[in-house]
Amino acid sequence: MTTTLAGGRAARRQTMRRIRPRRSPAVPLLLAVAAGAAAVLWLWWSSTASIADTTGRIVAAGRITGLLAGYLMALVVLQMARVPALERRVGSDRVARWHAMSGRYTVCLVLAHVFLIMWGYARQAGRSLGGIVQQTVTSVTTLPDMGKAAAGTGLLFLIALLSVGGIRRRLPYDAWYHVHLLTYAAVYLTFWHQITTGNEFAVEPAAKTFWYGLYGTVTVLVLWYRIITPVRLNLRHRMRVEAVVEETPGIVSVLIRGRRLHRMGAEAGQFFRWRFLAPGMRFSSHPYSLSAAPRPDMLRITVKAIGDHSSRLRELEPGTRVWAEGPYGALTAQRRSRGKVLLVAGGVGITPMRALFETLPGASGDITLLYRANSTQDLALWGELAGIADERGARLMYAVNSPGGERPDISAESLRRKIPDIDRHDVFLCGPPGFARSVYEALRGAGVPARRIHHESFEM
Amino acid sequence: MRKSHPVRRAVLATAATVSGIVLLLSLKPASDPGSAAAAGGSVPPAAAGSPQGGARPVGDGTVTGDAARTQYGAVQVRLTVSGGRITKAEAVRAPAGGQSDRITSNAVPRLNRAVVTAQGADIDAVSGATYTSTGYKQSLQSALDKARAAGDSGAPGSSGPAGSSGSSGSSGSSGESGGSGESGGSGGSGSGEAGGERAARTVTGDAAQTRYGPVQARITVNGGRITRAEAVQAPRGGQSDRITSDAVPKLNRAAVAGGNADIDAVSGATYTSAGYKQSLQSALDRAGG
Repeated sequence: MTTTLAGGRAARRQTMRRIRPRRSPAVPLLLAVAAGAAAVLWLWWSSTASIADTTGRIVAAGRITGLLAGYLMALVVLQMARVPALERRVGSDRVARWHAMSGRYTVCLVLAHVFLIMWGYARQAGRSLGGIVQQTVTSVTTLPDMGKAAAGTGLLFLIALLSVGGIRRRLPYDAWYHVHLLTYAAVYLTFWHQITTGNEFAVEPAAKTFWYGLYGTVTVLVLWYRIITPVRLNLRHRMRVEAVVEETPGIVSVLIRGRRLHRMGAEAGQFFRWRFLAPGMRFSSHPYSLSAAPRPDMLRITVKAIGDHSSRLRELEPGTRVWAEGPYGALTAQRRSRGKVLLVAGGVGITPMRALFETLPGASGDITLLYRANSTQDLALWGELAGIADERGARLMYAVNSPGGERPDISAESLRRKIPDIDRHDVFLCGPPGFARSVYEALRGAGVPARRIHHESFEM
Repeated sequence: MRKSHPVRRAVLATAATVSGIVLLLSLKPASDPGSAAAAGGSVPPAAAGSPQGGARPVGDGTVTGDAARTQYGAVQVRLTVSGGRITKAEAVRAPAGGQSDRITSNAVPRLNRAVVTAQGADIDAVSGATYTSTGYKQSLQSALDKARAAGDSGAPGSSGPAGSSGSSGSSGSSGESGGSGESGGSGGSGSGEAGGERAARTVTGDAAQTRYGPVQARITVNGGRITRAEAVQAPRGGQSDRITSDAVPKLNRAAVAGGNADIDAVSGATYTSAGYKQSLQSALDRAGG
């Protein structure tokens, strides 16, 4: 299954011709989002003739925050629609961080919106600041769709509360995830009051069309990519567990057999969200990287038993049905811009690096893998890696703790000493957060530009 | 993998949002309602749009004006035109929420009546509801323009007299004095002598929408007097049943005693009273009183 590569300059030229780095569409996307926000503000601007007094200003501020919150809410949902352009080009990790960031911001806007509008209405009704509660009750019970909106907002605040760092860490992941899914209900409930009580939408029929278009598009994308696409994928490929192999103590590989798996378009470096239909596991899905280049009949993931879910993987019976969603992730060969590549793996972060090590096009000596682990016993997949290195003429290095437990020295100097032309490499980096951060700093210190350090991190 | 600074980011986002909103608010003119109407501008001034601008609509049927923006929300007027006369005016949209509810329920029925009486856009603003009145007149003008346009295309013959009766370009406030004389005349000719000679008859007013449900009044008129008043529709369900059973008989009595729609609202039943009065007025208009 490995590609035979010709050596020499001709092959290098051949390889270089194929290296056309695809830029992440993040910047154009962010510009589009900003343009949309500007359009929303313009909508307020054009539908507001003038502002009379302080009360008018409070209500106007409430409307602006409300419009922005409504706009961003659609985008927050869109970010989790698993749209391939976002998952595979921008990168799932980055999109997840955007989602968390914009979600927090949107919840703050909703809070400001509710407070400002109710304060403004209370002032219009001649009530003091303390009359907000009474005003809220009146508005919720009398204005159209406000009952729904209140329920949705309450739900949204509950979800936001459970997502606060400290509380989230104390919750089991599955419980948190399923509560988080209620966001869809919250968004649905709060949508209608925007249309029926939103001044801007009453005045401007085109604005209403725009709003329906925005939410309609997001709904279609969510249905398509979160439901229809996975159903079709799994009906077509019918994956089952083939075998479970213990690589090193605590690290297992799961081999998954299926039909025409090459048609899924998965690349080395990508991951799927896996759901194993075994008792106690069917209700949670987890992202694991492919630890080998996908074969037409077989996929392999390699997992470290750190959590509840991953520890149970070793008990999987062959034949267990597998439900997969993907492929996701942007840490692939298309990120590469140079002929020479350094892969840096920390611990179980070896999985995507192992797949890339095998498949990244390159002549002899172009590819280097640096593998960090606690001890030589923890170097999972080492045998395979050595085989690939031999076959391809690639360099393979490892760094483990000394017998005394001292950490190996991975610094700018040591990296430059080992790889003198390191500043002319693309670097792919995968490992635990602390490790990734320190390697990143060392690489920057050794002269690798940030745009050529490709990294995936799922910390929020 | 750049360093993230959550606190710095939160402070920056808050500062940017707050200053952006404050900037937007301070850039908006804090002007009086008159110029606000001029600046609001979804409705072009009538005189500029139609050279034959007359005060009376000519096309039959229902016509809805463009929504006009006001400080407190949108106002949108719908007119029912029959035989070249406005037989009904209503606001399909009006500011709601907080104080606006009270103001709307007070001002809109009055404005509706004024339109039917004046047969045009030259109506007085309701005091205490300046913004709503301005928006109402703006939307009304657009409805009148539409009705006139429909009349022009549908029945070219009728546009002559309508056009010749006056060219009050009622943009903003300049048209008010010019148009009032002629619109009063036309109102008088339509309904002045209708009342006295008729025998006893029953007239049902238009249903008035309130936030708790529609109210519809029916009156029996005999010899130019209201001899009986009743509500054929009134809010029901929950608290409304109690309020309706208390307020409606009082309102009926007041209508018979007063002989017109100028009756006091029943306290604790403000919305029902307002709807009742609105429907009563429409019944009186139909009866020719």
